[in-house]
Amino acid sequence: MKILIIEDDSSLREIMSRALRQEKFTVETASTFAEADSKLAGYNYDCILLDIMLPDGNGLQLLEHIRALGKRENVIIVSARNAIEDRVQGLDLGADDYLPKPFHTAELVARVRSVLRRGRSGGELKIEIGNVSLSPSSRQVKVEGQELSLLKKEFDILLYFMQRPAHMIDKTMLAESVWGDYVDDTDNFQFVYAQIKNLRRKLADAKASIEISSVYGFGYKLIEKSA
Amino acid sequence: MRLFSRIAIRLAATLIVLMSLWAVLFYFAMADQIHDEVDDALEDYTTLIITRKLAGRELPNAGDGSNNTFTITPVSADYARRHSHYRYHDESVYIPEKREYEPARVITTIFNDAEGQYYELKVSTPSFEKADLFSAVLLWIVALYVLLLLITVGITMLIFYRNMRPLYILLEWLDSYHPGVNPKPINNPTRITEFKRLNVALQSAIDRSEQMLERQTQFIGNASHELQTPLAIIGNRVEWLLDESKLTDEQAMELYKINKTLSRAVRLNKTLLLLTKIENSQFIETSQVDLVAIVSETVESLSEIYISRQIKFTTDLPSKFEVQMNESLASTLVTNLIKNVYVHSEQGVEARAAIVGRKLIVENQGREMLDREHIFERFYQGSQRETSMGLGLALVAAICRHYNINIEYSFVNGSHRFEIDFAE
Repeated sequence: MKILIIEDDSSLREIMSRALRQEKFTVETASTFAEADSKLAGYNYDCILLDIMLPDGNGLQLLEHIRALGKRENVIIVSARNAIEDRVQGLDLGADDYLPKPFHTAELVARVRSVLRRGRSGGELKIEIGNVSLSPSSRQVKVEGQELSLLKKEFDILLYFMQRPAHMIDKTMLAESVWGDYVDDTDNFQFVYAQIKNLRRKLADAKASIEISSVYGFGYKLIEKSA
Repeated sequence: MRLFSRIAIRLAATLIVLMSLWAVLFYFAMADQIHDEVDDALEDYTTLIITRKLAGRELPNAGDGSNNTFTITPVSADYARRHSHYRYHDESVYIPEKREYEPARVITTIFNDAEGQYYELKVSTPSFEKADLFSAVLLWIVALYVLLLLITVGITMLIFYRNMRPLYILLEWLDSYHPGVNPKPINNPTRITEFKRLNVALQSAIDRSEQMLERQTQFIGNASHELQTPLAIIGNRVEWLLDESKLTDEQAMELYKINKTLSRAVRLNKTLLLLTKIENSQFIETSQVDLVAIVSETVESLSEIYISRQIKFTTDLPSKFEVQMNESLASTLVTNLIKNVYVHSEQGVEARAAIVGRKLIVENQGREMLDREHIFERFYQGSQRETSMGLGLALVAAICRHYNINIEYSFVNGSHRFEIDFAE
């Protein structure tokens, strides 16, 4: 799987490529519009991470250019501008996803995985880890083919973990992505603990081969149980 | 006080002083003139009496209708020498024909006959009543004052409003001006130099302040925007450390705390960007948004998140209440208003969200009234709470301003109460 990162900030470029390389992706980078343009002309990629604001041009133009070339790459727009117009315009021009800065590394990896999966399976986004399979579109979870019934929040949490297996997720990050904007002033995570506790019990009862383990007392990690 | 009322009062006051002065002067001048005339007449009459007396002719009759009276008294030469001149004075004289005392002017003089006998002649003629004259003058002065005042104020009003019209046009324009909402240029044609200058000065002042406001908004926008990338980098590096390194629990906890603080910075930054966008009117798309759904969902989520605060939140909602708004702004509005309750109220208090008519009311028990002037300002912190940024209500206010929605805060029966009026 080959990924092209088009981002003008060197530090961010380094972090993005390091994170993706760790996930065994092949990563190439471009820091300017011109460099990206020449790489796109010469090579094919599975996924392109595109920063909209480049020193020598607008990323959206590059996106138009990519589509004009008839390339079928998955494109994720990465932008500091959270403007809705940008997002809409980007998606209209055929971007597959939109990731606003600042983002969590885990989020980046999950989004890349998700668009690649979508690309491969023609829209079906089933995620499988161990004996657990999860389908985001139908909101179904199966353990060994047996359906596991989860409440809404429990499902959202499991989805979040399954998109980021083996990565540490801290409780703030989890709360923010599952509960959304509501959560940002809280300093008490009782509500997260309660949901995690129930989810763990349900997974264990269904004899799932994955579990949510605690890390450092403030984070969680989805791991596959060694048989 | 209106400028014109002030001018009218000043005019009236000035006139009253001037007219009083005038009345005094007029009264004295008048009295003086009358005395003069009377004195002349008395002198003629005296000459007549003396002539007749010396010629031995008949003296004028007392009852001739002129009301004049006279006495002739022989006096010593010595007395005569000492009182040789005409002497005038006022006194009350009994008029036998009228049988009453009347104010009179009296002349006293000395003459001598051929034998060298000196006589003192005292002639009196009825004069005028000073009080009568005084009240007559007063009456006319008051009448004149009222007349003058009416005319002056009337004419001044006419001239004032004719000439001050450009001022009132300017004031009207200023009333319609809201900072940040593109003002229409001043349309106030006038030939008066002062108003021309005022037009120009006002227009340029407003233009300047608009520019400043825009620059400030832009600056906050740009600064927040430029911060996004560095914030992303720091966050990602911390996450990398947490995820990939073997750390002691203390080190990990330290990094987690850094990350938490960082998320506050990220949130703050996002909120500032959002505020900037609202103020720049970048949320154009609107749709019919059901506030009931947003309120119930928000309350449900928040009561779950803030379960430890044990707030008894009740809702009193109709089945549907739609407003024409940008959906994400409507949600931000409601969320911040309700989250405000959870974040800032004390443990276990009662709170309520209700939609009554076209009003959304959110109230919660509290100790004392908040500073009504400042609660909607950025970074206002009523109760100091570490995790709160003090931007929630600023956002609410910015959204209300954007849609011209009226929001009011009050403290009723021990409860903070926010009322948002979605009047059509």
